[in-house]
Amino acid sequence: MYSIETKSLTKSFGDVIAVNDISFSVNSGEIFGFLGPNGAGKSTTMMILTTLLKPTSGQALISEFDVMGNAKKVRERIGYVQQETTVDEYLTGRENLLLQAKLNHIPKNEINSRIDEVLELIELSDKQNDSVVTYSGGMRKRLDIAGGLLHRPKVLFLDEPTVGLDIQTRRKIWEYIKKIHKEFDMTIFLSTHYMEEADNLCDRIGIIDGGIIQVIDSPENMKNAMGNEVISIIMDNTHNRESFLSQLKKIEFVKNINEDGTKLTLFVSNGTQVIPKIFQISSEFKIKINTISLTRPTLDDVFLSYTGHEIRDDDSHFNRKREHAKMKRLRS
Amino acid sequence: MNSLMYDTYTIFWRELKRYKKSRSGVLIRLIQPAIWIIVVGNIFSGTQPLIQSVGFDGEYIEFMAPGVIILTAIFTSIFGGVNTLWDRRYGFMNKALTSPISRSAIALGKMSAISLIAAMQASLILGIALAIGVNFPNPIMIAPIMAIVILFSLGFSGISVMVAATAKSQETFWGMINFLGMPLFMLSPALFPLELLPNWLAVIAKLNPVTYTVLLVRELMTGVSEGGIPILLSLGILFAFVLVMIGLASYVFTREVNKPF
Repeated sequence: MYSIETKSLTKSFGDVIAVNDISFSVNSGEIFGFLGPNGAGKSTTMMILTTLLKPTSGQALISEFDVMGNAKKVRERIGYVQQETTVDEYLTGRENLLLQAKLNHIPKNEINSRIDEVLELIELSDKQNDSVVTYSGGMRKRLDIAGGLLHRPKVLFLDEPTVGLDIQTRRKIWEYIKKIHKEFDMTIFLSTHYMEEADNLCDRIGIIDGGIIQVIDSPENMKNAMGNEVISIIMDNTHNRESFLSQLKKIEFVKNINEDGTKLTLFVSNGTQVIPKIFQISSEFKIKINTISLTRPTLDDVFLSYTGHEIRDDDSHFNRKREHAKMKRLRS
Repeated sequence: MNSLMYDTYTIFWRELKRYKKSRSGVLIRLIQPAIWIIVVGNIFSGTQPLIQSVGFDGEYIEFMAPGVIILTAIFTSIFGGVNTLWDRRYGFMNKALTSPISRSAIALGKMSAISLIAAMQASLILGIALAIGVNFPNPIMIAPIMAIVILFSLGFSGISVMVAATAKSQETFWGMINFLGMPLFMLSPALFPLELLPNWLAVIAKLNPVTYTVLLVRELMTGVSEGGIPILLSLGILFAFVLVMIGLASYVFTREVNKPF
């Protein structure tokens, strides 16, 4: 049985298609990540799966309940932690969890023990009676996540769980997510635009860009499929670039080349032998190479090879209207 | 039904918790009605012969004190729904909407919290009125007066919750609320006897639920009934108003929050 299943799911806002005919399924107990830049359709998909938006067409099922036809059953089975922290600043940590418990109809006699349990898990027991106003960003996020899993949902949705947090806090949150997953054995669906986050947490990743899923696989398989090495070249200028490129493609071990102005990324299987050949060809075409590097492929490279562009590490606040306008311009 | 009550109480509890923690607003919100009762009450003290001509033999300030109590209830409750906009902007609404509670419970929980808060504010104004020498012959009447204020505010907060759910911005909300609040107050016998209004205004005033609430509170406070409208009729109209607002607000709120914000 799948925890999440979508069939040709599509959502358009006016003439902008935010989610375009996506079909995927998430196994029970899996951590599945949507990886893509802002405006790729991650949040929109998540809002459909959590019953907040109605799809334009297609179907989405949570534990085999339709998000449209059986919204209440779906809501009883999910936890949803939004991108923005939504804890109530005026209330204390414990009061926030109490509110969450009541909203999710946790039986009265279990409320207190459940709250104690998650407070322990996220290490906020000693701060539970302080107003949330006094909490740091990371503490608020932890409290928010705790609220999402208090009622032990079958599926926990985490929308950009670490956006805007510093790297130490981010790692800490990852630890909590792993701990939660182990302890409660729930399916986790998360969206992120951080490669490292997807790589670190997810069993499988769906790369989404422009409302379309480009590929779904485990991070390991994705990286392996890339060839085992990546050569990045930065040329001094684009003079003679086309003929240079066509010669590079002929080198034996080169699987794929991505080009972006003076920057070339080669996915290769035998890098140490390729580099001398590159220099040979560049000298033939009188091309000056500024830098060259040989690395193991990262998810960044995977993303680049599937979407043709790099994911921008953009922390600016997500603005749906602006994203739509941008998408409109790109499409016209 | 049981779960609707439980869910309504959950939201009610949350709203009151928030209110309790933001107490600084309480006194600020009392300034305006206090000015009304102290300043306007004295400015118009010369109109005593006019109100005596309709059978009211106290001072003007005693005549208008019930009006200012209702003024407090009107504005506290009609402003009260504004946090719906914050809830939608800062994610609490989505949190509630993805939980199994019903949408109506969110609207009703907010309304009941607002009406209780409005009644508390109104009771403070009643205190100010008594402190500045308004005569209150029968203190037992305070209980039915508060019950009426709670009931009335429950209905009126429905307007606020509906406007807040429909408005996408603060500007729209405040524009609508100011457009509605002041006329509803002015077109009632809160400051001036119904009998002395020009006919066409009196007709409009009689369509206004505020009118009947003011008459009820005035009768309970001063013992003078006015305009020949029996208490039971006023009560009936007030109840009908509240029931209609509960139904309408749940419907409109549910419809609006299901649309993307």
